[in-house]
Amino acid sequence: MSSTLTPPDAQEVARRTQARDEDAALGRRARRARIVHYLGMPLFLLAVLLALYLWVQGQELDSIEARTITLGTLLSQTRQHITLTLYSTVVVLLLAVPLGIFATRPGTRRFAPAIIGLGNAGQAIPSLGLLALLYYLFRTQPALPSTGTFPVVVGLVAYSFLPILRNTMVGLEQVDRFVLEAGKGMGMSQRRVLRRIELPLAVPVILAGVRTALVLNVGTAALAFLFGGGGLGQTIFSGFQLRRNVVLVTGAVLVAVLALLVDYLAGLIEEKLTPKGL
Amino acid sequence: MSDVTNSDTTSHLGEAAEPGETMIELQELTKRFPGQEAPAVDRLSLKIPKGEIVVFVGPSGCGKTTSLKMINRIIEPSSGHIIIDNEDVTTIDPNQLRRRIGYVIQQIGLFPHMRIGDNVATVPNLLGWDKERTRERVDELLDVVGLDPRTYRERFPRELSGGQRQRVGVARALAADPPVLLMDEPFGAIDPITRNRLQNEFLRLQGELQKTIAFVTHDIDEAIKMGDRIAILQEGAKLAQFATPEEILTNPANEFVQDFVGTGATLKRLKLTRVREVELTDDALTGREDEDRETLRRRLAESDWTAMLLLDREERPIRWLRTPDLRQQQRPLTEAGLPARAIVEPQATLSDALEEMLLGSAGVAIVTDGRGRFQGLLDVDDIILAIQTMRDTEAEFYRAAKLSDPDDEVSA
Repeated sequence: MSSTLTPPDAQEVARRTQARDEDAALGRRARRARIVHYLGMPLFLLAVLLALYLWVQGQELDSIEARTITLGTLLSQTRQHITLTLYSTVVVLLLAVPLGIFATRPGTRRFAPAIIGLGNAGQAIPSLGLLALLYYLFRTQPALPSTGTFPVVVGLVAYSFLPILRNTMVGLEQVDRFVLEAGKGMGMSQRRVLRRIELPLAVPVILAGVRTALVLNVGTAALAFLFGGGGLGQTIFSGFQLRRNVVLVTGAVLVAVLALLVDYLAGLIEEKLTPKGL
Repeated sequence: MSDVTNSDTTSHLGEAAEPGETMIELQELTKRFPGQEAPAVDRLSLKIPKGEIVVFVGPSGCGKTTSLKMINRIIEPSSGHIIIDNEDVTTIDPNQLRRRIGYVIQQIGLFPHMRIGDNVATVPNLLGWDKERTRERVDELLDVVGLDPRTYRERFPRELSGGQRQRVGVARALAADPPVLLMDEPFGAIDPITRNRLQNEFLRLQGELQKTIAFVTHDIDEAIKMGDRIAILQEGAKLAQFATPEEILTNPANEFVQDFVGTGATLKRLKLTRVREVELTDDALTGREDEDRETLRRRLAESDWTAMLLLDREERPIRWLRTPDLRQQQRPLTEAGLPARAIVEPQATLSDALEEMLLGSAGVAIVTDGRGRFQGLLDVDDIILAIQTMRDTEAEFYRAAKLSDPDDEVSA
């Protein structure tokens, strides 16, 4: 009797071994996918920077080019660029998220079209035009600086207002209304429902908007130097005006790398802040 | 809430159960939605006795859900009053009110970003219970609804099946031990098998908890199963009938109720009546396996019957025999004819008996006592006759009850 059991047992063992191997293979694949997910982009960006460095090293630089492309200049411009992006994103978050909440509350929902109209206007005007307009407006107001960080940040805020506003509204409105009804039905106050249920559930969508805004701001901040705000735009435009392609390409590649890096970091934050269970 | 647990009021079989103390009272409750001509709920008045399940049932758009949601003021009434436990709650702080009322909805509405334990702890947290007490209560409740706390407490809602989620929904509603529970089609979105199980479990639970429950469904079968009383609502939440399931089935108040209960009413009524309550055909022709073949044949030929029921020495039915079966000599009697199928016991419902008949294609059910001894036969005509008699006598009974007590709450 026992001998007749051997073949199925052997098969069983083989099957289990195979299953274990498959599980292990799946685990390896998942781990590899995670590594690519987390390290792929930084490695790629490093490779791009390295290639840029080698390429610039390989060029015969004239005096103008050599003066423009120095590590010190590029670093300080990058810092300015990041500062502009961060300032404007923080300000736009502080403005657009509360306004998005305001525009979705039952009592104040009727203001939503006006608020969205405002955001639309900010984005519809071409960014260069918007900055120029602000420059002109601020010049007539002696109390406000018409050049430097301030007007540029104002321009960036206006420009990136819509994605965060819209995503806040969409994020809040996509929350299952029965989840809200359950919260309300158990005696949670409106404010508590907002804080404990609606906002946590809207976080992924709001953060997607923040990500968009950040990337938009990195791009638009390249125009900042025109209004005395500095940033990597300076290098791009010097290269353009002086017909120095090496300078132009260096500036452009650095802005692109910065945009991709910011997008990558924002993605990590998004992942981190998205509530578990979703 | 435990001092009034009059078991009669919760019994399905209690005839014209006397309502106990009132827990929820709706007075002339009305809801008009802006921009709608007719009120969604028009002066609904109703008393829900303590410890009972009252089911609101009616076609879609009849205002049953609106009526339910006005009790915890998820929908604010346009006029009228809600009295809970002798307190007018129509104008008190709705959040305070809702913490005293369990609320279960069809879509469940678990918070997807919170673990099961935190979902269940929602109301205790709102009431400011300390951590230890909340945790103990959460574990206790998960246990009560049949989910092992150790396995499920730390899970997220999306990791659970629909039935499990609804159990969590019920546990969450019971968390702070509210005396009143509102349930809006709680088992509506669950597959039939799980639904049936959850219904049974919930009824068992209710037997222990004795909560006062308002329950909405569009399914008359669920209403009959779950309700101690059923409120059948017509458009505008007009109360077509408010009575026990038995009375609604036997004695529908009007054509609307009759239509709504549907052609299946008789079949549903069969689930409420037991075989022992009807008259059996007890003069059936029987024979014993130890009797002589020829004797049996002669007895069959002299009777009006076309077949006889063969019993064994213990008087348990074994075969159906016709004349040709008795002429044949080769086979032993115990293998002749057809096997005796469709055997039911007296406590089976008429519905069970009918199903047995259909399954056994017998046209007749054999009734035996607890030890399997033959008691009589029940055929389709008997069932139909039983229904007619029941209907007549109960109609008379209720008519008499109404005449003697004009304030009977049936008129509501």
